[in-house]
Amino acid sequence: MTRITRRHFLQASAAAGAALGAPMLARESMAQELSFQPEPGAKLRVLRWKRFVQGDEDQWLANTKKFIEKTGVEVTVDAENWEDVRPKAAVAANIGNGPDIILSTNDDSHQYPGRLLDVGDLCEYLGKKYGPWYPSALAYGKSGGRWIAVPLGSGGNCMNYRASHVKAAGFKEFPKDTDSFLKLCQNLKKNGTPAGFALGNATGDANGWCHWLLWAFGGRVVDEQNKVAINSKETARALEYAKALYPTFIPGTLSWLDPNNNKAFLSGEISLTANGISIYVAAKNSPDAKMQAIAKDMNHAAFPVGPVGRQTLSALFFTCVIFKYTKYPNAAKEYLRFMMEKEQYEAWQKASASFVVQPLAFYERNPVWTEDAKNTPFKYTCKNMLPNGYAGTMGAASAGCMADFVVVNMVAEAASGNMSVKEAIERAEKRARRYYR
Amino acid sequence: MAPAERREGMHYLESLPRRWVTVYIPLLVFLFVLLFPFYWMVITSFKSNAELLSNGSNPFWVIEPTLDHFRKLFYGTSYPKWMWNTIIVSVTATFVSLAASVFAAYAIERLRFKGSRQVGLAIFLAYLVPPSILFIPLAMMVFQIGIFDTRWALILTYPTFLIPFCTWLLMGYFRSIPFELEECALIDGATRWQILIKIILPLAVPGLISAGIFAFTLSWNEFLYALTFISASENKTVPVGVITELVEGDVYHWGALMAGALVGSLPVAVMYSFFVEYYVAGMTGAVKE
Repeated sequence: MTRITRRHFLQASAAAGAALGAPMLARESMAQELSFQPEPGAKLRVLRWKRFVQGDEDQWLANTKKFIEKTGVEVTVDAENWEDVRPKAAVAANIGNGPDIILSTNDDSHQYPGRLLDVGDLCEYLGKKYGPWYPSALAYGKSGGRWIAVPLGSGGNCMNYRASHVKAAGFKEFPKDTDSFLKLCQNLKKNGTPAGFALGNATGDANGWCHWLLWAFGGRVVDEQNKVAINSKETARALEYAKALYPTFIPGTLSWLDPNNNKAFLSGEISLTANGISIYVAAKNSPDAKMQAIAKDMNHAAFPVGPVGRQTLSALFFTCVIFKYTKYPNAAKEYLRFMMEKEQYEAWQKASASFVVQPLAFYERNPVWTEDAKNTPFKYTCKNMLPNGYAGTMGAASAGCMADFVVVNMVAEAASGNMSVKEAIERAEKRARRYYR
Repeated sequence: MAPAERREGMHYLESLPRRWVTVYIPLLVFLFVLLFPFYWMVITSFKSNAELLSNGSNPFWVIEPTLDHFRKLFYGTSYPKWMWNTIIVSVTATFVSLAASVFAAYAIERLRFKGSRQVGLAIFLAYLVPPSILFIPLAMMVFQIGIFDTRWALILTYPTFLIPFCTWLLMGYFRSIPFELEECALIDGATRWQILIKIILPLAVPGLISAGIFAFTLSWNEFLYALTFISASENKTVPVGVITELVEGDVYHWGALMAGALVGSLPVAVMYSFFVEYYVAGMTGAVKE
């Protein structure tokens, strides 16, 4: 029998401690390794999207205040409606002047990668400390192998449903595949508590669920070589499914924009839609008893899986870009590093009621995902989502296709019977070819 | 009109049913189409959030009016400041544009220099270039001059679309003023400047008013330049400010948005009501030879 002396015990404990603590120490040392020294007298101007939920903006500003107090760098944060950030960013990129940092949406940054500061050192550091980065974050953050943007996270995108209505439609839990999902929608319609999904030019909602539909059946706008591949039997199957689904919707969805499904859900007109967490937050924070009742009854679920057999989620994605023209690149990087560190990021995520879903695996541990069970389904949005322009690469063509609602219009035209499936696909193909030359 | 006169000519066609069909019903339809959006704006701004989301209540009437949205607008946002910015920018840009347009229109119409017609046409074509093409080069200039994010950025860029429009409108009006009036003044020894100030402009008041109203309305409602050239909340104008503050992602605060639109449209409506007669005269050309 081996005798364990006090010395042995101390040696073994030290070795075990070193083995267990090494990654942690490495992470801590990494944290200390990377710090950008702001330029003397640095002043930063940040342009961000206006809040989706109140806490998001409040906490971002509170974190900024902490940064100012810590570094002495003067930071001004301006905010615009999220769809209006795009023209301002385009102006800044084209004239070489404007905000030092812009919080942009989707693949906007891939339209002017040459104007953006390389943030490879910062992103590699964040990836090692809090990573790995999810594949969607890598797709949105990198262009031609170069980090052009710091991925901030995705918007959550889930099925929002009234639990009591789904139960009344004969489903104990939310369907996990597209066949059951169609059955649910048909039953909801029969019960007079229909579903409603935006089919107008709704940047967030319509693009979100229509791309999910296309991808769920194996369709895609382009292949891996960026060749237009939308004219396929998979796309045709997706549109046939849309044709079966559309009659179960409440009338009027063809003209719906982003706010319409929120309003219809909160007024009790629909029982099921695709959205971020904003409907739930609005209902939960409302002083109105009816809205509170909706918040209590509603729940969220992941999008059903289609014939491809895996998640094919589409969601908004947010990135932070630093323009090359900035006079204070170090201050700008330090600001973004500070905002992405766990003390700030977790607080921001919590305050935004999980509206922003982390791009880094480490933040899956954030209690915001478990303290309210209705937040939990959003937890893996960023992990499971496919990037815009799938299965090709991002760039002006993918951004143009999305901005022109090529997929949304195709689904709407086929689903409503305005065009045959074949005609809708051919039109979409023609439009897509204008971008992917 | 005397009854005897009324019996003559085409008046026998003006029976009451005929007038209903040809005048009153089309007029009522026209009024409904024009005023319904305004009505919708008014009732939405006075409805509570619960009523806005309710399916049960009558959507065309307010059951429980509330001033909450106006309270939110005036005390929860920088709306008064946006309103003030909009007034300053619109009034200044309108006056600057009118002054420039009077000189341009008078020169093109009256000085008879070679190529005046082509210059007039070129000015009109300049108006046809959409702001969505011009805003990037203009932004470059705004940055270089150093007026980005100030009211001057708008005051100096709005004339780029106001001057061509006002010039074209005033050219038409100046054309309707008899040339003989100027010739008389020239014979009496008046200079061109005196003719412009003492003869043409007093006669062109209706035209100036209609050009002014148009310029003011275009400046008041302008969105793209105001969005692009202004960043700080305190410098924003009403159209941009309300969108920024009252739209949270996909949640639209409809009540406050409509209250903002209602209050924002009142100054323009008041202006129109004061000057409507001049405005009509200006559009049709009041001075006849």
